Amino acid sequence: MENEIKTQETTTAAAPTETQTAEAAPQEQGNKKINIEKFSPRMLMELDACTRCGECSNWCPTYDQDSREPLTPRGRARQFKDIIARQHGTFRADCMLGKLVGTKPVTEEELAAFAKDLYACSTCMQCHFVCPVAIDTVELWERIRETIVDGGYGPLDTQKDLVLKTKNYDNPWGQPRSSRARWGKLAKKKKRIKDEPKDISKSKSGVLYFVGCTASYDNNVEEVGINTTNILDAAGIDFGILGNKEKCCGSVLLRMGDRPSFEKLCKDNIEQFNDLGIKTLVTSCAGCMKTIREDYAKIGKLNFEVKHTSEYIVDLIKQKKLDMKSPVNLTVTYHDPCHLGRHSGVFDAPRELLSLIPGVKLIEMERNRENSRCCGAGGGLKSGYPDMQNKISQKRVADAIKTGATELVSACPFCYQGLQIGIQAMNAPVKMRDITELVCLGLGIESGADGKADAAEADSE
Amino acid sequence: MYDSYLYFPATAALYALSVLTALVLIAGIFSSVTLWFKGKAPILHHGLNTGAIVKAFIFDCLLQLQILKISFVRWLMHFCIFIGFMGLFAQTSVMALASHFLPPDTALARTMFSNEINVGGAGARIFDVWGDFFGLMLLTGLAIAIVRRYIVKTKQLETLTKDTVSICLLTTIALTGFLCEGLRLTDPLYAGVAEYSFAGNIIAGIFKGMGLTAASYKAWVWLHAFISLFFCAYIPFSKAWHVFVSPIEIVLDASERAH
Repeated sequence: MENEIKTQETTTAAAPTETQTAEAAPQEQGNKKINIEKFSPRMLMELDACTRCGECSNWCPTYDQDSREPLTPRGRARQFKDIIARQHGTFRADCMLGKLVGTKPVTEEELAAFAKDLYACSTCMQCHFVCPVAIDTVELWERIRETIVDGGYGPLDTQKDLVLKTKNYDNPWGQPRSSRARWGKLAKKKKRIKDEPKDISKSKSGVLYFVGCTASYDNNVEEVGINTTNILDAAGIDFGILGNKEKCCGSVLLRMGDRPSFEKLCKDNIEQFNDLGIKTLVTSCAGCMKTIREDYAKIGKLNFEVKHTSEYIVDLIKQKKLDMKSPVNLTVTYHDPCHLGRHSGVFDAPRELLSLIPGVKLIEMERNRENSRCCGAGGGLKSGYPDMQNKISQKRVADAIKTGATELVSACPFCYQGLQIGIQAMNAPVKMRDITELVCLGLGIESGADGKADAAEADSE
Repeated sequence: MYDSYLYFPATAALYALSVLTALVLIAGIFSSVTLWFKGKAPILHHGLNTGAIVKAFIFDCLLQLQILKISFVRWLMHFCIFIGFMGLFAQTSVMALASHFLPPDTALARTMFSNEINVGGAGARIFDVWGDFFGLMLLTGLAIAIVRRYIVKTKQLETLTKDTVSICLLTTIALTGFLCEGLRLTDPLYAGVAEYSFAGNIIAGIFKGMGLTAASYKAWVWLHAFISLFFCAYIPFSKAWHVFVSPIEIVLDASERAH
């Protein structure tokens, strides 16, 4: 079983191996004091607003695997409040009042241990949705991570690798920039797409298909790009891709707490996108969509709309640009990617899209939409705590099996990777599918997945 | 001052204690708020959305419907403690303020504080019902909280010392409140109006059966007042601090999400 996972992971560019264990990396220590100025007053207030009711612990996917209080959002908030109160509060350790009441200084060991637990979080945002006080947890965790990185206590070693690679290669997998558009060339060569997607800087198309790092580099999910290309072609959309000039959206940097690098990348990307004069940016990656639509908008102004492929394809079908003529007689269940659903509020479009594919029968998992169980792949959890992610993924796959569906459908290449780990570990009787694959089947286009063997062959060439 | 209805004349010592309580409360709030404002990032990403704020305040802060969606028992507990305590706090505040600042020659003053039967006017009966109603609400909520936290030991709950202290203080406040009310109503002076204090009157009946009189009433009122004031001062340092802070977060989140 483990070998299967490793095999899958080794083909996933630079994904960490199963044997890698998470260790906090308190390197470059010395700046022990948390830079409290990086928080907003609201964020610091949120630490007080937590009623410690523990509802989050009932839903947290990591606490479900490792029942230690510091892993719960409640525990994390309490610990961090304690740290900043002892460093910056009225009774802080280094002031007279603090000494009077015996406040203990925060030690490096405490910060290192806190950092280690802080990164055992997939930033799935479930805690926000179940919190009776509606604490904006993920933004808080990400800001805490930022200050922890500033102090030299994070991210974890395995996560540092992702950050470094993103900064050096513009993708977290450490693959050369020159091979970002290779999937298109190979797909064209193997006749899986009619034409290579156009270079948007030359075509000046109105629609940019932002492929994303995972779909570009991971040959396990390259059919996401291939299917999307085929769908857009079938609809007669004049679209293009950035090809080798496409850079990571920066999600990895933001989630890991390297905000300065994220902001730089974000500004570069915004400038690049805005200069294209596009009307719509379409992406098939939930993480990219959340980052560009939600996080970029907090930093700069976008002169185009951002849509997930599921939203865009629904529009195309309604505009009768796509004819879903081929029955797809499959019983499926749909997994809401956290970044698409909870983070971006896109719950309906993928379901509507599935309903528009003839023959597809959707059976919902018990936990769906706002309460969809995370696959564990996001927030750096997969790289920091691969064993935990594997188990979280298996739980989600078990949810899918319970429905009796034969296909587990999602709308994110990263979830695809994450859930595939669970499917392989369990040897589960469900097949992982990206939603674009079913659309292709409905259009009567040969599915990218069916040509996977060809891709492997082409890879070896 | 309408001592007769207040049951207990507000003495200088009580006022001094109240001022001390207010000072500690303000210092605690100041300490927390000062820490919050050490954060320099923008508070919100968007402008305030008044409609969303009002809606969230009514449904999520006052009615707490988001808790009801999770569990009826938890909602009942939380709602009873919150509304019960706020109701009692309001009762005490209104009574104290009115007895001092309401001009005696007004119709309202005559209705509320008439000394005809030395126990207040007809309008004062509202306070009798008010106190018992919210007191029972508070006790109901606390009973559920104690069962969940210490008997059933609900898995999701984490009990810190300050949680236990808060629950003990609130329970003591509620119980001593009813004890005072029971002792007060043992006085034959209140015979004609005691039934308005529907719960206190039952306790008074028990006390009478036990041969207790209102002799120790003032001592118990002092204890009740002292614990109540101590709890108020303790709020910013306790679990109860969320009563002030959580609603702010709820409405700010609603405002942000509305954009």
